[in-house]
Amino acid sequence: MIEVHDLVKHYGSTIAVKGISFTAQPGQVTGFLGPNGAGKTTTMRILTGFLPPTGGQAIVAGYDVFEQSMEVRKRVGYLPESVPLYRDMTALGYLMYMAEIRGVANRKQKAQEVLERVQLGKRAHSRIRTLSKGMRQRVGLAQALLHDPQVLILDEPTIGLDPIQVLELRDLIRELGRSHTVLFSTHILSEAEQICNSVVILNQGNVVAQGAPSELRSTLERGGRVMVRVSAPSDAVLPIIQGLPEVARAEVSAESIVVLPANLETDPRPAIARAVIEKGWDLIELRPLAVNLEEIFLELTQQESAAEEAPAQPTENEVAS
Amino acid sequence: MRQIFAVFKRELGLYFRSPIAYAISFALLLFFGLLFSNALTTANQQQQPADAVNFVPNLLTFLMFLVAPLLTMRLIAEENREGTLEVLMTMPIRESQFIIGKFLAVWAFYTILLLLTVIYHVILTTVGIPDSGRVFGMYFGAWLYGGAALAVTLIWSAVFEDQIVSAFFGAATILVLYLADVAASWASSLPDATLSASLSGLIRELGLQAHYEATLLQGIVRAEDVLYFVFLIIGALFITTRIVEVRRWRS
Repeated sequence: MIEVHDLVKHYGSTIAVKGISFTAQPGQVTGFLGPNGAGKTTTMRILTGFLPPTGGQAIVAGYDVFEQSMEVRKRVGYLPESVPLYRDMTALGYLMYMAEIRGVANRKQKAQEVLERVQLGKRAHSRIRTLSKGMRQRVGLAQALLHDPQVLILDEPTIGLDPIQVLELRDLIRELGRSHTVLFSTHILSEAEQICNSVVILNQGNVVAQGAPSELRSTLERGGRVMVRVSAPSDAVLPIIQGLPEVARAEVSAESIVVLPANLETDPRPAIARAVIEKGWDLIELRPLAVNLEEIFLELTQQESAAEEAPAQPTENEVAS
Repeated sequence: MRQIFAVFKRELGLYFRSPIAYAISFALLLFFGLLFSNALTTANQQQQPADAVNFVPNLLTFLMFLVAPLLTMRLIAEENREGTLEVLMTMPIRESQFIIGKFLAVWAFYTILLLLTVIYHVILTTVGIPDSGRVFGMYFGAWLYGGAALAVTLIWSAVFEDQIVSAFFGAATILVLYLADVAASWASSLPDATLSASLSGLIRELGLQAHYEATLLQGIVRAEDVLYFVFLIIGALFITTRIVEVRRWRS
C-alpha cells in the first residue's frame, strides 16, 4: 500500500511536486499519468527512498519513506526509467549481485526464477551489453521482483519496447498487480486503461484527476471536444455554433467543425443539435472526438479547477442510451 | 557487512577482468624489474649492502599519484554516470557501506600489487641479509600510504562523472600531498622565524612524505604516522560518503 499526503519537493527554486495526495491499494495496479516534467519520476524517487521529500508524508508498505527508509527499501521493487544496469555483468550475475545486497536467501535459485518469470531464462549467461533494449528492460524488472516486494514501482516500463514486448509486459504487470501494490507511470492513456484499476493524473506537480480509468475517461470525454458535420457550408455553420453559450471555441477542420466546450460540466451536443435543426440543416454527424492523453492534458491545464471537482454524474447521452 | 562484502567482491572481481588493472600491473612490474636488476648489478659491483637495493616500495609510493587515480577513477564516477547508483540507493544499503566496499576492493587490489613486489625482497635474501625490521616498516608503510592515496582519489571519483577529470584531480591532489615537503622547506625560509617554523612544520605534517620517508621507510613504526594514514583514509571515505549523499539529494 502507498499513501501519499501533501507531498512537496523543491529543487532549488523550482517546485517539482506541489503537495500531492493519493493512495495506491494492494492488489491493484495504479497508473501514474502525466506529461514529461509533471513530477512522476520525482514522486517515484521519493517513494523509493532515493530522494528526500521537502514536505508532506509518504507511507509505503506501512513505513515512512523518510524516517524509515531502510524498511521501505526492503519492501519495494523499483525499475527506474533509464533501466540502469551493469553492462559488463551477465544477466544472472547482475541479479545475484542485487540479491546479495538485498540479502535474499537462495540467491542463485531466486535469480533464475525471476529470469524465467520475465522469459529470459535462456539468456541468463549473456552479458547485459549484448541484450536488446526490451531484454534489458526485463532484466531491470527481474531485479525489481527479486525479493518478492510488497510494492512495485515501475517508471515508464513499456517505453522503447516493440509492440509484442509491450503486450507481454502489460500482461505481466496486470498479473503482478493481483498480488502486489503496483504503481507504474506512463503517458499512454490506452495503456493505463488496459491495465490499471485506478489512475492518478499529474500535471505540473499537481494531481489533476484520479479515479478508475473508465470513469475518468467518460468524464473527460464529456468535457472534451466534439466533432460536428452538417449539410451546409462550414462558413455558415461556424458563427452559429460559436455563438452558443456552451461553446468556448469552434474551428473548421477538413469537412467538419471541431468544438471545444465552455466547461466540463455541460455537454454542448444537445445545444449544437438544436441550433443546427432550427436552422433547417441536416445534422450528419455529432460525436465526441476520441481523446488522447495530450488532449486531456490540454483540457486539464486549461480547466484545472473544473476537472478536480468533476462529479461522476451520468450525462444526458448516457441516460438516453 | 553483507552489503559491504557484496560490493567488495564485485569490484575486486572487476579489477581482474578489466584491462586497465592488468595494464597498470604490467607497466609497474616491468618498470620495477628493470630498475631492480640494474640496481642489483651496480650494488654487486660496488659491494653495497642489500638494503640499498630495496627501493621498490618507496618507488611505488612515489608513483601513487599516477596509480591511485587510475585505479579509483571509475569506481563511483561510472555508477553515477550509468545511473546504477540510483538503483543501489533504493536498496537496503547505506552510502557508507557502498563506499567502504568500493574502497576495500581497490585497496585489496593495491595490496596484491604490493605483495607482488615482495619478490624483490625475496631475491635480495638470496644475495644478502636485508634488515627485516626495515623491510617490514617499508612495506607496511607503503600499504598504508597506498590506502590513504586511494581513499583521497576516491573523493574525486564521487565528485565528477567524467573519469578522466576525476583522475586528473586525483593525481593533482596526491602530488600536492606528496610535495608538501617541498612547500614546507620553502615556508621555512620565510623572514619571520617563529611563523615560518610553525607554518613549515604544519605543512610538512600534513603531507604524505613526512609520515613515510623519514620513519616507516627506515623501519621506524610510530603510532602518529600510522594514525595519520588511518585518519586520512577514514576522513576521505567520510567526505566521499557525504558527497554521494549530497549528489543524490540534489539529483
